[in-house]
Amino acid sequence: MITLTDFMVVSAVLFCTGLFIIVSKKNAIQILIGIELMLNAAILNLVAFGKYDRVNNSGQIFALFAIILAAATTAVALAIILNVYKQYKTINPDQIKDLKD
Amino acid sequence: MKEAILPQELQTIYLTILIVLLPFAAFILNFLFLNKSKASGWVSTIAILISSIFSIFVFTAIWNGPVIHVQTIWFTIGDSQVHAGLLLNNLSVLMLALVPLVALPVHIYSTAYMKDDAGYGRYFRYLSFFCFSMLALVVVDNLVLFYAFWELVGFASYLLIGFWFDRPAAVQANKKAFIMNRIGDIGLLTAIIIIYTLFGTFDLEKLFGAEGFVTRYSYIENGTWSFYLNHVLHVPVSRGWTVMAPHTVTQIPAIWQYVAFGGIFLGVAAKSAQFPLHTWLPDAMEGPTSVSALIHAATMVAAGVFLLGRVYPMFNTTELNILAAVGCFTAFMAATIALTQTDLKRILAYSTISQLGYMVMAMGIGAYASSLFHLVTHAFFKCLLFLCAGIVIHQIKHVKEDNHLDIDPQDLANMGGLRKKLPVTFVATLIAGLALIGLPLTSGYLSKEGILVQAFEWAELKGGAFMLIPVFASITSWLTAFYVARMILKVFYGDMNLSKLYPNITIHIGDGGWRYQLPLIMLALCSLFPLFSLNPLAHSGWLTGGLPQYGQYTAGLVELMVPVIINVGSIAMLYYAYMAYIKQRDKVAAQPSLLHRISFNEWYIDAFYQRVIVRAVMTFSKALYWFDLKVIDGLVNLFERIARCIAGAAAWFDKYIVDGLLHLAAALVAYIGGIARRFQNGKVQYYLFSMLLAVIVVFILKILIWNS
Repeated sequence: MITLTDFMVVSAVLFCTGLFIIVSKKNAIQILIGIELMLNAAILNLVAFGKYDRVNNSGQIFALFAIILAAATTAVALAIILNVYKQYKTINPDQIKDLKD
Repeated sequence: MKEAILPQELQTIYLTILIVLLPFAAFILNFLFLNKSKASGWVSTIAILISSIFSIFVFTAIWNGPVIHVQTIWFTIGDSQVHAGLLLNNLSVLMLALVPLVALPVHIYSTAYMKDDAGYGRYFRYLSFFCFSMLALVVVDNLVLFYAFWELVGFASYLLIGFWFDRPAAVQANKKAFIMNRIGDIGLLTAIIIIYTLFGTFDLEKLFGAEGFVTRYSYIENGTWSFYLNHVLHVPVSRGWTVMAPHTVTQIPAIWQYVAFGGIFLGVAAKSAQFPLHTWLPDAMEGPTSVSALIHAATMVAAGVFLLGRVYPMFNTTELNILAAVGCFTAFMAATIALTQTDLKRILAYSTISQLGYMVMAMGIGAYASSLFHLVTHAFFKCLLFLCAGIVIHQIKHVKEDNHLDIDPQDLANMGGLRKKLPVTFVATLIAGLALIGLPLTSGYLSKEGILVQAFEWAELKGGAFMLIPVFASITSWLTAFYVARMILKVFYGDMNLSKLYPNITIHIGDGGWRYQLPLIMLALCSLFPLFSLNPLAHSGWLTGGLPQYGQYTAGLVELMVPVIINVGSIAMLYYAYMAYIKQRDKVAAQPSLLHRISFNEWYIDAFYQRVIVRAVMTFSKALYWFDLKVIDGLVNLFERIARCIAGAAAWFDKYIVDGLLHLAAALVAYIGGIARRFQNGKVQYYLFSMLLAVIVVFILKILIWNS
């Protein structure tokens, strides 16, 4: 049978993959994909822990909300990336250093 | 000091003050308003003319009359009051009359003599200043003022010797005169201080008057010089008794009496050009000739003899003998030097020294009156000689300038045969020369024979080696006859040497106008006997009667024989000189023998001073300079170097330690900042990575620390 641990392992793998993508990729779109992966790992955890909740399916409901929020944030992020591209003619985060000032 | 001053005395006092202040007024007037003007000469001359008229009034009022002594408190230091005032006795009025009477012809003469000089105004300024100082010197009543005017006449002399200050020789000469006079001034000052220490007063009358402290109330005994003073309480005679308070005695070691004498002697020797301080006077001839006549022949150099006259009661027998010996030696030495000099003015300068030696010697043998008598007669005839020499030099200079010759106008070799060209000058020179020799019918005879007679009598009383003094004085007298004859013969007789040397020169010279001739005639009349004694063969005059006699003499054969022997000798010398120089029978001292060399080089005294004293002083100065340069400056430089070292160390410490710490702190902060800023590189991923790292570190720490 599939235990909570298995969910947790898959979730951790997903999270780490996402994290790795975020810190290593040179493309903002790919970083956005990494963020989605990490978000999904969190949602997976949410659903897995939902089984132990006293109220049924509240985890799944929360996951639905999170997915909707993730979609919204992704839309905002894509808009930001578009504007960044307009400004700098690149979406490589290494070449965008204006944040330090 | 008298209680009440009589009206005619008051008049005399005012006249005296006027006499003294008129030349000063002329000096101020010339100084302030008449710098370049030719009027300055007449201002000075008129001032001295009025002074001389008044001085005759004062002289007749005081001579053999009451002594006038007025004073007022000048200043007070502590309890001692110093008075300033006038002291008019026979001695001072004699000088008071003499100075303007000699100065007047010199002033008149100078207006002509200096008329082409650029420094005409300056000359009369100095001359008036000198007359003021000299007149004040003779009338002041205390030693402090005396010293002040003593210095001022020396200063005036300094100014006038260096009158042509663009000539190096004149500058050297006035420096020499000034330094030698300083030596004398130090001596005089020392003596004044010693006298004040013992007697507590500067007052000349109180000290040296007939009832003076020095004269009556001091004595030397058992190695102390004591001064005692009885305080008589004035109790009415009707009570029948007077009270003598216990007298006060002040004592100092007797050696100070001799030191005081030494100081006064130094002062006299410097001012009156006595050996060993005489060498400035011949050099002082660098000044204008009229100045030499007034200052360096007639008046200022006599100030030393005048000082002797003022303080005479102070000297004891030993000191008087020293004075006599030094005076006699100076007279003899100067006469031998005058024999061979070729410079007209130097001959006269040495003859002045010789005559001053006579006066000092006369003071030493107690011929007080004759000494001052000789001072007066000498002033007239020596002044006359100088004025004549001035005319001769002036005329030779004209010849030199007219013909563009390169000759020394003062050299005897360039003169000769001037008798016919300058008749008035010749006669005047002849009278003055005969007076200097001391032949009868002249004033010089009256005073000089007086001195010689008294010298012989004095030596007779003393006996022994003291006989040398009158013998040498007589020899000096004969030498005087010879050098005077030599000078007159070389200047006025024979042929004009210049026309022999330069055959095609034009010579038109003459005696000059009345401003040259009048002074000569005035002084020539004063150099003859009638002014001083109606008996041309006496060896005293009415002047000597008014002055105290200190010696005790037995009128004897000496009185008759001495003048005869001296004069016969003098005439023989004149004849010998005439034979030698005019007839050329014998070449006198023409060969450069040893004696000639000694005489010509002035006994090598000046050379000795130059070689030994001046060089020693210079060496000492150089040593001091070296010391200053090496040791004092060295120390200063050493301190500087030490200070620089310390400063360097401090600078190093400041730079490397203090600043270093600051820089280290700054560098540390910068380094830490540098590390910190690496996190702020603006890359999004880097921030994220850092955050992740921090979270991991926190977790690791949590696991390692809290869970273990």
